[in-house]
Amino acid sequence: MVLLFPLILPVALAALLLGFSDGRQATRVAVAGGCVELVLLLNLVLEVHRQSTVTLGHYFRADGLTSLFLLSLAFVFFVTLLYSVNYLRHVPPGRFSSPRWFYCLMFLFVFAMLSAYLAENLGLLWIMMEATTLASALLVGFYNTEGAVEAGWKYLVVCTVGIAFALFGTIALYLAAARSGVATASALDWTALMNAAPEMGRVSNLVKLAFLFVAVGYGTKVGFVPMHSWLPDAHAEAPSPISAMLSAALLNCAMYALLRYDAITVRALGPDFSHTMLLIFGALSLIGASLLMIVQRDLKRLLAYSSVEHMGMVATGIGIGVPLGLYGALLHTFNHSAAKSLLFFAAGNVREHFGTLQLDRISGMARSLRGTSVFLVIGVLAIVGLPPFSLFVSEFAILNAAFSQEKFAVVTAVLLALVVGFGALIFQLQRMLSGSAAVPEKPRMSMTEGAAMALCAALVVALGVHLPGSFVHMIQRAMAVLTS
Amino acid sequence: MRIINFAASQAISSSAVLIFLTLLLLAGSRRISTCVSLFAMQSAVIAAQVLATAYLHRSTEAFVIGAMVLLIKAIAIPFALFGLIKRLHTSRDVKASISPASSVFITVALIFIAFSAVQSYARDLNVARDPLAAAVAIILTGCFLMTSRNKALMQILGLLVLENGIFMAALITTFGMPLVIEIGIVFDLVMGVFLMGIFTFRIRETFDHLDVSKLRKLRG
Repeated sequence: MVLLFPLILPVALAALLLGFSDGRQATRVAVAGGCVELVLLLNLVLEVHRQSTVTLGHYFRADGLTSLFLLSLAFVFFVTLLYSVNYLRHVPPGRFSSPRWFYCLMFLFVFAMLSAYLAENLGLLWIMMEATTLASALLVGFYNTEGAVEAGWKYLVVCTVGIAFALFGTIALYLAAARSGVATASALDWTALMNAAPEMGRVSNLVKLAFLFVAVGYGTKVGFVPMHSWLPDAHAEAPSPISAMLSAALLNCAMYALLRYDAITVRALGPDFSHTMLLIFGALSLIGASLLMIVQRDLKRLLAYSSVEHMGMVATGIGIGVPLGLYGALLHTFNHSAAKSLLFFAAGNVREHFGTLQLDRISGMARSLRGTSVFLVIGVLAIVGLPPFSLFVSEFAILNAAFSQEKFAVVTAVLLALVVGFGALIFQLQRMLSGSAAVPEKPRMSMTEGAAMALCAALVVALGVHLPGSFVHMIQRAMAVLTS
Repeated sequence: MRIINFAASQAISSSAVLIFLTLLLLAGSRRISTCVSLFAMQSAVIAAQVLATAYLHRSTEAFVIGAMVLLIKAIAIPFALFGLIKRLHTSRDVKASISPASSVFITVALIFIAFSAVQSYARDLNVARDPLAAAVAIILTGCFLMTSRNKALMQILGLLVLENGIFMAALITTFGMPLVIEIGIVFDLVMGVFLMGIFTFRIRETFDHLDVSKLRKLRG
């Protein structure tokens, strides 16, 4: 029951919302439903905390790792919903572009991510990962402009092809499991695979093939550098609340899938193969994305490349292969979600106020857009990894782990990316803030937008100053799922 | 009975030849509608293969999967694509960036690569080499079609071909995945094609053409 309701509610709401042609009513229903969903998700997280695993039938299961990611999804979803209330009023009406379609697709998107997290069966995980692409493609193309249509098409095609490779990898793992004596009916179940993993060492070629394809496939969705081409377009052209969802929820979801496969591969073959691959993708993403950040001319593209960089950081943390690195990586997915939502919300306000996101046409923000400027400064300082914000803690843990393992190439890549990213973001920030205001002062930020951004900012600061013991415990339980 | 068994097992081993034929014809054809028909034929060959396997192993699940593949991939999706071509009023050309002759040549090379790639795996796994090579060749050709044809519709088709290859690889090596998962995968495929259809309409409305190589506003 505790698992069933949060899964059913988003689908029911998505269907219900299509019936509301009035935008205001749709918004009200969506927010009310979103609050109920938030409570249900938190209840599920608590239940997992009490029982360590919750299962539903043969196909759904929640454990410590799931609950950590669910917590971050619940948070991002809630603040995005809050932010969208006011944001949607200036959307031009069109086919599939009205508030009711926006909320309907958003709930379907959340449903897809939720069931990807809760999937016990890796085949189901694949189906739901593909469903996340399908649900969000129309949201990326929501504005129906030339750029939005192009970005939506590219997103759909690139991610579907990428995910097709992941399907091939899933089949290879299924084959490996079936060849090492797992009953075919359960050869895709996570628990069965983890139990049988030591046996699968005998078919090491197949397991390697599986991880290679899965890393490329789900890596496309994470946005690792050679496969990242869809990411900046989709993030830049989507409405800002959706950019926040993509960056703060979807990338985590794909990373979660990789984590599961990584754990199985490590058990079957030892840490060398999969961790080296994650380190390679991580280093490429860190360096590639940070260098590309320098040349960006658009605020949301800049933020999108910063997401690629941070996903590279997470992959590096996992790839180092010591508990401290994994701890930092898991904490970093959480922190990055909060900070990146804040930044995309601020970018949404900037776009609304200046009518553009071109960096060279934004100036004098500190004077004309005070509230948003404060949040933008907090967000940028947090994302470049300065103390006292929470990203400093997780990045420091990852760096610490890399030093302790004497992986100096990794250390160099991380530090280089951090420095270059720092330069690019701070330079653009001061250019946007300073100067004379070309546009008249905006009276006030709306309540809901302010509340959404304040929640994100509070979380980024609070976790940076003090990590509650229960949260650390939660991360440790997530790590136990992967390594025990 | 024995003759039917024999026919079924022959159908599986000889299907590889038919698959190679569809691939070469796909690479050589200039018209989109020809490509759609070829895709339908390829799907029908694969469906026949599933049904033959189902018969040999007496498996009800495989019969259901075979029927589903036949209905959806060999009939429903091709018809939907024909309808899409008609409603889009677009030119029939696939807008290939390389000539049909060199496309065929590249496809032949891809088939050779497929054979050499599966050699060791086929031995280790103890499965027939030719069908496995055919599956890998479909995947490679699907990728090749997507990258070398500029018409948006051909990208959908390339993706479908690619998916056919993955399905066939799963079929040969594992006799298919569990039924629920197969149904989910096909459902995703249908939804994906539907969404891409919506996007082709949007591309046409916004840009007044369907040439994806001209979509290059977003860079860097």
